[in-house]
Amino acid sequence: MKNIIEIQNLTKTYGSLTAVDNLSFKVKEGELFAFLGVNGAGKSTTINIMCSALAKDSGSVIINGNNIDTDSDKVKNDIGVVFQSSVLDKSLTVLDNLQSRGALYSLHGKELRQRIDEVARLLDFSDLLKRTVGKLSGGQRRRIDVARALLHKPKILILDEPTTGLDPQTRSLLWKVISNLQKSENMTVFLTTHYMEEAADADYVVILDGGKISADGTPYELKTKWARDTLTLYGVDTESVEGLGIPFERLGDGYKLYVSSPHETKTIVIENGFDDFELAKGKMDDVFLAVTGRELLGGDGK
Amino acid sequence: MTTLLSMTRRNIKLFFHDKGLFFTSLITPLILLVLYVSFLGNVYKDSIMAFFPEGITVSERIVDSVAVGQLISSILSVSCVTVAFCSNMLMVQDKVTGAALDIAVTPVKRAYLSLSYYIATYVSTSIICITATLVCLAYANAMNSYIGFREAVLLLSDVLILAMLGTAVSSIINFFLSSQGQISAVGSMVSSTYGFVSGAYMPISQFSPVLQKIISLLPGTYGTSLMRNHAIASTLDVMEAEGIPTEIVEAIRDGFDLNIYFFGNRVGVGGMYAVLLLTVLLLIVIYVVINCTCKKVRK
Ligand SMILES: Nc1ncnc2c1ncn2[C@@H]1O[C@H](COP(=O)(O)OP(=O)(O)OP(=O)(O)O)[C@@H](O)[C@H]1O
Ligand SMILES: [Mg+2]
Repeated sequence: MKNIIEIQNLTKTYGSLTAVDNLSFKVKEGELFAFLGVNGAGKSTTINIMCSALAKDSGSVIINGNNIDTDSDKVKNDIGVVFQSSVLDKSLTVLDNLQSRGALYSLHGKELRQRIDEVARLLDFSDLLKRTVGKLSGGQRRRIDVARALLHKPKILILDEPTTGLDPQTRSLLWKVISNLQKSENMTVFLTTHYMEEAADADYVVILDGGKISADGTPYELKTKWARDTLTLYGVDTESVEGLGIPFERLGDGYKLYVSSPHETKTIVIENGFDDFELAKGKMDDVFLAVTGRELLGGDGK
Repeated sequence: MTTLLSMTRRNIKLFFHDKGLFFTSLITPLILLVLYVSFLGNVYKDSIMAFFPEGITVSERIVDSVAVGQLISSILSVSCVTVAFCSNMLMVQDKVTGAALDIAVTPVKRAYLSLSYYIATYVSTSIICITATLVCLAYANAMNSYIGFREAVLLLSDVLILAMLGTAVSSIINFFLSSQGQISAVGSMVSSTYGFVSGAYMPISQFSPVLQKIISLLPGTYGTSLMRNHAIASTLDVMEAEGIPTEIVEAIRDGFDLNIYFFGNRVGVGGMYAVLLLTVLLLIVIYVVINCTCKKVRK
């Protein structure tokens, strides 16, 4: 699989603040790429640079084989972006918005109208086309934001906290649409989120801190490296758990032990003849907390 | 091309969605009209009478007609520029709402984008100024002035040209602004100074020679003078036909800036058109070029 995004030594400073610090990473075509980090880590800044909305200080960004410095128009046609906060014209209708934005990609007339109807059906807002954007609910507006990003059938969809503040139904609708497109069109999805369960489904994860990568890998690799598995034992007494010499917590009916590997678990269970137990892999939440060493400061819903 | 049209349509729609904006922009010239009529009408008449030595009589209608011409040319020349500044806010508003960011990620040509802002502002400015002009013409008609159909059409076309100038200047300035507050500040600065530096509040002939030279370098001056010609000349023709000596009529032409001098050389009406249209063209080119060179949106 080829790399559709290649970022090398990207740096961006605002005065004395280094928002993106010599950052390098690659994204493979067709994958779901999760770009994580605490508030202010530099995610939105990186995204703005990738879609040529913000000038960088140094480094190179290659998107689908085109350099953003020399071929920015090609890059812009390949990218669809959902910004962290909605950027549509609030006093115009949904249809007006989609039509005026479509025109910026040289989509016009019938062709554009068909495409708008198509995305409206896909994201289930055909009944909202005549409504004023400013008067829609947050979740309704988010669907329009996504539709706007998909208008020109981009190869890469960039989503900056797309699901913050959405109800579970809208969230699952969005994810269904996005993963269908990912499969049917081999679209690459570049996702920023503060919901770790969304990141857990990613093909590759990068965790950013202070503009630098502090960990990266597949969710499995990250969980193996950064999060401990937990083994919960039931129907045993405190003495036998203490006897294992492993840190544990009492949890209702059982005892929760932190184990370092499945192998260790196997040994414990077999040697002691425990027969009611539950093994849970570490979670992305744990990975995130371990890597950033900070509490995760939820999304600042806008 | 379709892209340009579509963008322009969006910009105009956004302008007219804000009904308050349209009416406040329209009200400025109307307030000016009321103020001028109530406070300056007699001042103007007196200043005209001063041109006539004792013994020469002139009909009241002629005096009134010159005063009306002076009045509406002042109001309209100032309005075209100030209204353009008031209504040219979309470019900045887009930076504030983030729409500019959304546009920056599309492959649209910056030249088209900047022209779409220009055209939209021009259209809304023109609609407002034409409305104001019609009101002024109705007033002139009610005052039984010598402004005829031909003069009315010429004045309307002057308004269209000056609106282009106002839109071009405000577009260039607004390119460098990033908030609504800055726009209002610049807007009020322009409204308070433009009337003086373009000779609309006070005839240029009353300024000191140095100031006259400086003012003759500013293109707005020629816009005011063009309007003075179209609003007053027909009355002066009547004056001459009624036997008022040519020297007096010529003195009035000089005194009311129908004649304007560029370092001692008189600039004719053709020259005024040339100055205005060339300036507009040059400013639009500058505007588009700065838009194309400053590519990225700094947020
Ligand atoms: N225009 C700007 N001027 C100055 N500093 C900025 C600007 N934009 C962003 N920053 C700073 O750059 C850093 C990175 O910001 P960025 O928006 O990329 O963070 P983020 O990872 O997207 O955070 P969040 O999760 O809150 O969206 C922050 O410290 C922010 O304060
Ligand atoms: Mg962000």
